[in-house]
Amino acid sequence: MDKKRIQQELDTTASKNSTVDRRDFLTKTAALSVTALAGTSLFASEESGDPAILEPQKWGTKWGDPITKNLYGMPSKYEHNVTRRYTKLLASGNFRASIAVTPIQESMGIITPNGLFFSRSHGGVAQIDPNEHRLMITGLVEKPLVLTMKELKRYPSVTRTHFIECPANGGQEWRGPQYNSLQFAKGFMSCAEWTGVYIKDILKDLGLKPEARWMLAEGGDSSKMGRTIPVEKVLDDAMIVWGQNGEALRPEQGYPIRLLVPGWEGNLSVKWLRRLDFASEPWYCKEETSKYSVLKPNGKAVQHFYANEVNSTVTSPSPEIDWSDLKDGDVVEIEGLAWSGMGTITGVDISFDGGNTYQEAQLKGLVLPKCWTRWSYMHTYKKGQELLLTSRAMDDAGYIQPTIDQEILKVGVEAVYHRNAVETWKVEKDGKVTHVEIRSQYGRDKNGELVIEGKA
Amino acid sequence: MLQLNKNLFISISVAAAVSLTLSACMEGGATPSNASTAKKASIDGGVMYPMTNGKTGPYYVNEKAHSTKLSFGRTPTKAEYDEWNSDIMPDGTGLPEGEGSVEEGEETYESKCVMCHGDFGSGGGGYPSLSKGNAYELHETLTNQRLKPDTDGPVRVFGTYWPKASTLFWYIKDAMPHPSTDSLSDDEVYGLVAYILNINEMEIDGEEVDDEYVLNREKFLKIKMPNANGFEPNIDGPNGPDNVRKYFSHPENFGAQKVKPSERCMTNCQEKTAKVAYIKGAGISDFHPPLSAVRDLPKAKESGFSVQKAYTTNCAMCHGAEGMGAPVAGDKAAWAAYTSKGMDKVYANGINGINGMPPKGGSELSDKNFKSVVDYMISKSK
Repeated sequence: MDKKRIQQELDTTASKNSTVDRRDFLTKTAALSVTALAGTSLFASEESGDPAILEPQKWGTKWGDPITKNLYGMPSKYEHNVTRRYTKLLASGNFRASIAVTPIQESMGIITPNGLFFSRSHGGVAQIDPNEHRLMITGLVEKPLVLTMKELKRYPSVTRTHFIECPANGGQEWRGPQYNSLQFAKGFMSCAEWTGVYIKDILKDLGLKPEARWMLAEGGDSSKMGRTIPVEKVLDDAMIVWGQNGEALRPEQGYPIRLLVPGWEGNLSVKWLRRLDFASEPWYCKEETSKYSVLKPNGKAVQHFYANEVNSTVTSPSPEIDWSDLKDGDVVEIEGLAWSGMGTITGVDISFDGGNTYQEAQLKGLVLPKCWTRWSYMHTYKKGQELLLTSRAMDDAGYIQPTIDQEILKVGVEAVYHRNAVETWKVEKDGKVTHVEIRSQYGRDKNGELVIEGKA
Repeated sequence: MLQLNKNLFISISVAAAVSLTLSACMEGGATPSNASTAKKASIDGGVMYPMTNGKTGPYYVNEKAHSTKLSFGRTPTKAEYDEWNSDIMPDGTGLPEGEGSVEEGEETYESKCVMCHGDFGSGGGGYPSLSKGNAYELHETLTNQRLKPDTDGPVRVFGTYWPKASTLFWYIKDAMPHPSTDSLSDDEVYGLVAYILNINEMEIDGEEVDDEYVLNREKFLKIKMPNANGFEPNIDGPNGPDNVRKYFSHPENFGAQKVKPSERCMTNCQEKTAKVAYIKGAGISDFHPPLSAVRDLPKAKESGFSVQKAYTTNCAMCHGAEGMGAPVAGDKAAWAAYTSKGMDKVYANGINGINGMPPKGGSELSDKNFKSVVDYMISKSK
């Protein structure tokens, strides 16, 4: 392309653009010219300045590493604080039945890098030789099957972006806020692009019997982690996956294969998967009765509580990365994540008074089913002003996040799992951010129902 | 788990006829002829995105790839099936014959379980409690709610909470002891189950599981869990999945809220009684590594090996206090029983693991460093 043609193109583009933009540009140019004419420098001062600019840096004048180094790339060593973290309070013994959580305060977009994906195991992270790993499918099928990993990958592949969330995300805070940290308050989840096969595609040839109502998924790790999954979900969107963000699953995610049950409790997506068994009655596995069941105030517990319900959080600001560096009048983006295991996010509202009044925020980027969704709101920061930032999401199944009061009155404070009430960050006068909850005091009426104390 | 007909492994040819049922299910919701299926609520209360017009939700699909019957792999042998088919169902399917007494169970417990689960299943070291006392009495605590500070919560242990005893047998057999699973005989598991029933002060068929009790398969199948009816929805029988569907079609059952977007609350959405609740004290801040958003170079790893730190990280949990079944660091008399057989034997036990102790205590220490930690524990003054 020659210069003349480029100029013509630019002119055409400019005339197509709104006249407001053009006028705005001309005005600014004029203003700058006036300043220059008055003899005032455009610059902050004539001398001194930032050593990062003034001093030559060694990386700008000396060779970098040869490409033969780090053939599998690693993050910059300066990023070492962006890492999974753990607390001993959520660990059994020597960290074999434990969790390490994702630094979602540092997450960008809707994909969690594989090294930061939250890691939960019930018997340690198994290191499996894929050549010695098999998947067996048995039970109420006409034709049981055993597959090598190579054979499994012959089925047509499916790639989907879904979050996986531990249903205990936020589960330590039923009785009040505990963590002054986004990573620990909401980081028991991550989101990735998964590649694998639909189980229904494998089953086509196996002849699932009509009386098969449930499927056992069992891991080959030392805990033989198992869960019962209804056949209806198996025939909808359940997958066996080997790919995570374009590469093999990490051992922490079940290498070589894991189940993926989109939208449902993370522990159903059984890692190190080795066996699928079909039956007419459910199994009552340890991790679906003794744990991962929701105890309500009447003493009854919800079992087979599958989907992670609609949820959201403000990710910027956060207790970790706050607004203490902002100046009065700065226009800043409030950003967050919304997600629902029951469908697709349809909207997010933001509140500055702890969820009493709301305004609509904007969704941004890709909006996919059972997937992290980014949302955004532009805010003019007023130094010294306290704010209670609360977000509230909705999904296409018709659900909206409850207030803490609404949720607790139904399921009490001993549920442990599936807490999806709205979350609040308090922005302090100095721009620091602390985790708070907006909630009433509760008691019981004469029938034993939970009630709000002091409610007129 | 089901008892398999031996023919199943050789009569593959019958599969084709029955698989029609499957394909009908799978297209449910996608085809107009199955309109009634499409309207059926999903089992989880959420939305489904059936494959239709070459797409599922926002994703394009090659419909042919998902409608073609594909055949890879092979039929397993009976021996392969049996090897992995270890599950035990509530009706007793999969439960082996065998027997074990409370006394034998206690012996196994003391040598292989106590280091994590503590004396009489009290819990410890971050591992769960197996009992808090009488299961029938403590079952009553399940309605407890810690609505006020310093109140007692519900007791959720095997005896008070679990709906089925089969879960316990299966879990112990497959996944315990935690550092070395699938290593107990069926009789040992019967003994352990008997012991756990004993410390939960439970009875079978009107008979107290006392210290003399001997459990076998027949008696096991008569165990009635105090909280057998404590779970909802009912998932058993032909209506199980539909019960779940009905349950999750009522948001009030699980604390959810449904609303038309245009009718959602935008003002006065909080109760007047709702106030700001703050983190009490410092809250939980035991975070590793400590929280930081700074971009800097990582601190150089501490060079050199600290025997004291290695002990604290890897060994103190079991060797740091009485009652964990392991000789306590610095307890000269306790250690003498082991060292009298020679230090090589002590080192070897530690390196290879013994009873409830995993190899090197689950640490990744070199043999040399591991031995120096053993020396430290023996010579340490209490």
